Amino acid sequence: MPTVSTDAAIDVAHLAKRYGDVDAVSDVTLRVERGAIFGFLGPNGAGKTTCVKLLLGLASPTAGGGTVLGRPLGDRAARARIGYLPELFRYHDWMTAREELDFHAGLIGIERSERDRAIDDVLETIGLSERADRRIGTYSKGMQQRVGLGVALLGSPDLIVLDEPTSALDPIGRIDVREILRSLKARGATVFLNSHLLGEVELLCDRVAIVDRGRIAAAGPTQELVGVARGVRLKASPAGVPLHSILTRYGIPRDDGDWIVVDAMTRDDVPQLVRDLVAAGIALHAIEPLTATLEERFMEVLQTR
Amino acid sequence: MNVVRIAFVTLREMSRRKLVIAAFALTLVTALLTGWGFYALVHQTSHGRPIAHSQVLASTAFMIVMLGYMFNLIFALAGAFVAAPALAGDIETGLLLPIATRPVRRSEIVLGKFVGIVVMLCAYAYFAGMIEFAIARATTGYWPPHPVIALGYLCGVGITMLALTLLLSSRMASIAGGVTAIVLYGLAWIGGIIGDIGTQVHSVGFANAGTVSQLILPSDAFWRAAAFHLEPAAMRLVIGSHASPFAVAAPPPLPMMAWGVGWIVVMVVCACWSLSTRDL
Repeated sequence: MPTVSTDAAIDVAHLAKRYGDVDAVSDVTLRVERGAIFGFLGPNGAGKTTCVKLLLGLASPTAGGGTVLGRPLGDRAARARIGYLPELFRYHDWMTAREELDFHAGLIGIERSERDRAIDDVLETIGLSERADRRIGTYSKGMQQRVGLGVALLGSPDLIVLDEPTSALDPIGRIDVREILRSLKARGATVFLNSHLLGEVELLCDRVAIVDRGRIAAAGPTQELVGVARGVRLKASPAGVPLHSILTRYGIPRDDGDWIVVDAMTRDDVPQLVRDLVAAGIALHAIEPLTATLEERFMEVLQTR
Repeated sequence: MNVVRIAFVTLREMSRRKLVIAAFALTLVTALLTGWGFYALVHQTSHGRPIAHSQVLASTAFMIVMLGYMFNLIFALAGAFVAAPALAGDIETGLLLPIATRPVRRSEIVLGKFVGIVVMLCAYAYFAGMIEFAIARATTGYWPPHPVIALGYLCGVGITMLALTLLLSSRMASIAGGVTAIVLYGLAWIGGIIGDIGTQVHSVGFANAGTVSQLILPSDAFWRAAAFHLEPAAMRLVIGSHASPFAVAAPPPLPMMAWGVGWIVVMVVCACWSLSTRDL
């Protein structure tokens, strides 16, 4: 059994899941601290949703194990403190949103006296207060996903697992979700976010893990993953041999539209480069370090495997 | 508590999906048609003279058994087709995912669905059955000997099929589970008839085949117990050794009925275990 720590929201080691001859998850070791927004990324078929199901006890691992909220995977007591929005969200289409929330509130064990207020709060958060008494079957896909988000938020859970929470939402809905996630973080909840929208993950997540072919390919703080130096770009005049010879001391210069990019140059060299350019009488109009976006890092990680 | 909550949602779903209204409306149509039939029977003449009251009663008794058989089929099909998507449909669509991640045992989900459908089946059986019996009495004066017990056994037919199909539904697709259950029901029915033939021709092998089929799927045993309690004693004298699914000379023995109840419990327990141990 893996070493586990109860102070982490999720702490699993060497999780594996095999369906017949297919390894859906081969070896996943993961630790998510409480209060963090954790991004779980990967291409289609990488094993993300299977991993989520293992964490929630919806499927049993063929190897490995760990804890969620300090309890073994699938533990019933822990499930009372977890909210989950599945990737393929589906709710009782004959119920109204209020009835669906009431049903889940009963399953979580929210007292009847507190239930109406809890449901009203959630409806307000997901922006469905005015349409709460319409049947879910009459809702658009985006509204149904909002219901799912409401179900996940009900009862102020300590851990919210969101599997592609914005897949059916319009841009306004996505901004709403972003705000909801920030408010969850502010109240100390842990968010496990499985998303294809790398821009959103980069904006929101403290840490990310990239999973590929059932294994963790890269993991770490978001800023470390995206903060890898990619050189420097600058605007300077006049262009010519003196400028070029100075830049070649620091890296490999190339033109990029109005900019000159100096590949393979580190941030630490920037002050000295500025001094050299000024000393040579070259006017420096702009200079900035280049870093990788999460999307670039994502592609890089997958291509090197 | 979760069992009650899920049973209540199951009942409410059947109600909201117009299943309850459709079933009760069709029952009223059936009641009207049979009422008209009984009325016509009472006013039937033979060679210009009304037929004897004893003949009316005998015909009504036979018709009541036939109606019972119709409801036996309806309950069996209802048990199978309502249960077939009860778990499989929720698994296929993903509806079960947010529910199964709540602090709910999966066995509570199975039991909740089972209880909800049982309540619906029994309510329907007693409502439809009592209406038919009341109409027979109002038009012909006939009242079956043990209607409440008979309807209880008819509920047993539906519950047997419900328990079997719920187990299948925990592992098979909705349509596959439903069809499999109905095919098994048909085989058990044929097994019962083979048993009747065995009794008539004094073939121990055939008679045992009937018993074994009732042990494997006790729906036919429940029906025969129901039919026995619908028949007047005089009718059994006529049946003699010529038993059939519509004319039962003797009820299945008590141990067989106890087996039937035990069989239902085992099926439900297996369904709970099956859903609890599978990946969603």
